[in-house]
Amino acid sequence: MSFIQEVLTSFVAIIPVTLAQSLILAFVVLGIMIPFRMLNFPDLTSEGAFPLGGCVCGVLLAAGASPLTAIAVAIAAGFVAGCCTAFIHLRFRIHTLLAGILMMTMLYSINLRIMGKSNLSVFGSPTVFDWVPFARPGFPASKIVVAGLLALLVFTVLYMFFRTEKGTAVRAVGANPDMAEAQGINVWAATIGGVGLASAFSASSGALMVQSQGFADVNMGLGILINGLAALMIGEAVVGKQTVWRQLLAPFAGAIIYYQLVSFCLAAGMPPPDLKLATGLFVLAMLALPSLKRSRGPAPAREAIRE
Amino acid sequence: MLEIRSARKVFYKGQADEKVALDGLNLSLATGEFGIVIGSNGAGKSSMLNAISGSLILDSGRILINGTDVTDMPVYKRATKLARVFQDPMRGTAASMTVAENMLLADLRSHKRTLRQGLNAARRASYKERLSILGLGLENRLDTRVDLLSGGQRQSLSLIMAVGGSPDLLLLDEHTAALDPRTADIVMKATVRAVNALKLTTLMVTHNMQHAVDYGSRVIMLDAGRVRLEVTGEEKSAVTVADLIGHFSVKTDRMLLAS
Repeated sequence: MSFIQEVLTSFVAIIPVTLAQSLILAFVVLGIMIPFRMLNFPDLTSEGAFPLGGCVCGVLLAAGASPLTAIAVAIAAGFVAGCCTAFIHLRFRIHTLLAGILMMTMLYSINLRIMGKSNLSVFGSPTVFDWVPFARPGFPASKIVVAGLLALLVFTVLYMFFRTEKGTAVRAVGANPDMAEAQGINVWAATIGGVGLASAFSASSGALMVQSQGFADVNMGLGILINGLAALMIGEAVVGKQTVWRQLLAPFAGAIIYYQLVSFCLAAGMPPPDLKLATGLFVLAMLALPSLKRSRGPAPAREAIRE
Repeated sequence: MLEIRSARKVFYKGQADEKVALDGLNLSLATGEFGIVIGSNGAGKSSMLNAISGSLILDSGRILINGTDVTDMPVYKRATKLARVFQDPMRGTAASMTVAENMLLADLRSHKRTLRQGLNAARRASYKERLSILGLGLENRLDTRVDLLSGGQRQSLSLIMAVGGSPDLLLLDEHTAALDPRTADIVMKATVRAVNALKLTTLMVTHNMQHAVDYGSRVIMLDAGRVRLEVTGEEKSAVTVADLIGHFSVKTDRMLLAS
């Protein structure tokens, strides 16, 4: 009985910290969802774009730039990285997954080049979280407010965009690229722009993370992709993905639930090294569920992903 | 309206299985003309339609639509001038989107897409009205995902999407071949109605000789990548299924002798 109480106490104590972290990481989950679900373009760039955003932000903060400038430049860098992945896929007809792997591998070197060393402390530099009135800087409340407001803003803008004429066209590119092209939609522009936007979100998440934790590390993206995917799967299981509204809500809801779950597992005494195995098994289970539900036979034919 | 000038396309050039798909093909279609394209498998019918729509790049030759040279235009730019219905109902619609969203995409084919709201009340009302012409009940399923529709319903939707906005050129690629006879008939009747009402310049590929006899103002028979036979005017109204099949058998005999 005392064990359960102990677990619950330590879990509840870190709920705000975890919530702040999950709201920041929700942007990576969004950056994974947009190519994967909206463009049918499974993209791995986020694993490199997240630390890219962090490194760019860290270097700029260390050089004395304002936190907003640092985030803006990080977003631009992420956008370019995503555009490159999409271009590699479209121009050289390289599989989307391979294009993403190439990009994230190359980004590792680029990130090291940007920082000049493997980690950089920016502790004490001004951050966007300092600007919240009535909250003591450095405490989770200000992070929750800033990241939460940003999430709300991004969600609203994206929801409105995907209902416009242009947004509908972008979704058509994911649903059926041949048909989209035959309806006069520039598939290249939509794919490059869409994947670029997604990586920009991943980079913004990295930048916010650096400001939140006070240091940038070239390895900070390690495993972010599988965590993000797990969060997306949970989000889709909870809020669904039938409509644009639900599909857009899933990354945010998923991130919040997933990181609380992880924090609970850690509080319950799960050794941190086992976390990745557990996460991987969880994603596998979520992806395998549709075919396990059928009594026999292989997984049903899915709509082909873009190759 | 449509003009194809000595179009040539060779697949696997220089290899053992080199295949001449289009061999100096010439074809012109006047505004409002309804051309029916027939020919055996491998005669170059699909290559011709792909070349017109832009998904096949010609080795040489030019293609003009409405006087504009479109030879070097990518598919999406040509789409402002032409619409196409494929044989496979799955290809012409976005499965994971709703009926209304698909209609919207087709509606914007030749327009600039803006950041204004896509589906509004006025548009939904007009889609409802346009879909009701089919009599398939699609007008009451505007918010149904297209992958929940039957093949015939999807193909009918593709047709309504294609003829909307009166394209300069309508390409029909055996668009009733994958449907059951009754649905095929509904789709074919709707096609003819739309083509006549909107006076669309149309090119229809078919393997159904009865359709070739019954519809259209001209029959174009392709063989080995060039036009073998053209039947127009008086001759077209008098042509019978047997006549057309006769031309096929000549070729088949020749092919038999050659092989």
